[in-house]
Amino acid sequence: MLKTIKLLLPALLPSWRFFDTIGPSPRIQYALLRSENDSSQQWYEFRPRSKHVSFGQMLTRMVWNPNWNESLFLTSCAERLRENATFHSENEIMRCIIADFKAHLLSSNQEDANFIQFRLLFIERQKNKFEHNVTFYSQLKELPKREFSDS
Amino acid sequence: MTLELAIRLTEILLGISLVQQSIEHLQLHKLLRVLYLFRIILALLLIIGLQVYWVSIFLLLLAVFILHRFQGPYNGGADRMSLLVLCCVCLYYFAPSKYWQEIAFAYLAIQLLLSYFISGWVKLINSDWRNGRALRDVFQFSAYPVSESIRTWSESPRLLFLMSWSIILFELLLPMLIMSEITLAIALVIAACFHFVNACIFGLNRFFWAWIAAYPSVLWLQLRLFTNS
Repeated sequence: MLKTIKLLLPALLPSWRFFDTIGPSPRIQYALLRSENDSSQQWYEFRPRSKHVSFGQMLTRMVWNPNWNESLFLTSCAERLRENATFHSENEIMRCIIADFKAHLLSSNQEDANFIQFRLLFIERQKNKFEHNVTFYSQLKELPKREFSDS
Repeated sequence: MTLELAIRLTEILLGISLVQQSIEHLQLHKLLRVLYLFRIILALLLIIGLQVYWVSIFLLLLAVFILHRFQGPYNGGADRMSLLVLCCVCLYYFAPSKYWQEIAFAYLAIQLLLSYFISGWVKLINSDWRNGRALRDVFQFSAYPVSESIRTWSESPRLLFLMSWSIILFELLLPMLIMSEITLAIALVIAACFHFVNACIFGLNRFFWAWIAAYPSVLWLQLRLFTNS
């Protein structure tokens, strides 16, 4: 009950401080690994943004934008992990990365990989310089088997 | 605009917002598909105005379950605004008298006005916003711009300075435009355009639908305060 009140209260008494300060911004990066001891990690950005989005696509996204909204949710999870590491946030990010892996949507397609790991890279501006800090490494997760189409 | 008409419009717009959100979830969360299908049916009942009393209660229970599932709002402010609108609709139906119904709906209108004013105020007191640097940061490295080409807007400091001040002044002034029906209508059209642009360049489509669902409340409040006397 207390948890429910804690979750409901920010909606009933909102703070409305949108974009008051522009804090560190997370990027989720993943690495595909052959084994648990594989140290040859190469990190790839998860769901890198498009080069260009046309006005037509923007209009469509007014009513249908599930992947972007999921990415925004993952950004929230990354920010929550930075504040306080919880299994829920880590699990949500990993769940989405594995879903994309199964759907062959990851930009890296290392076929002999058996494990996956993600990390959180935060970008922030300090005066006129940009700082990149890795603040979190996930547990390794065994990759599920994928189905390959004949084509 | 009567209170009853304003509530009906709110229910329709909230229903549209909830259908839009739920359809997106149908693709994303296969395990929650039944739950979101149920929410779509309830939102459609809300739109057509059938058994709204019960429908709003069930929608609120579902919203609480979804909050638990994602350990907070799925889409930050947009989900919070949808939930606020839903709570105020529920309170309207639970209220013991017309007076309390008006209080519940006026609360939604005041929160809508505060959503703009507080957003404007926190920007005004931040020097990074006043000199355009904060908006430059948003475009340069925040997670929001939908494409790399939109990131290049960060290279136009004069444009960003103008945009920053336009946003600050608009957000601060909007609540004051409630004095007149015409100025409020114009302000809400501009506000809807603002959310539309945010949806296009930052992908915040849910904010657009969630915020316009609260607009009838402020249109009603304007008439209630300044016309009915």
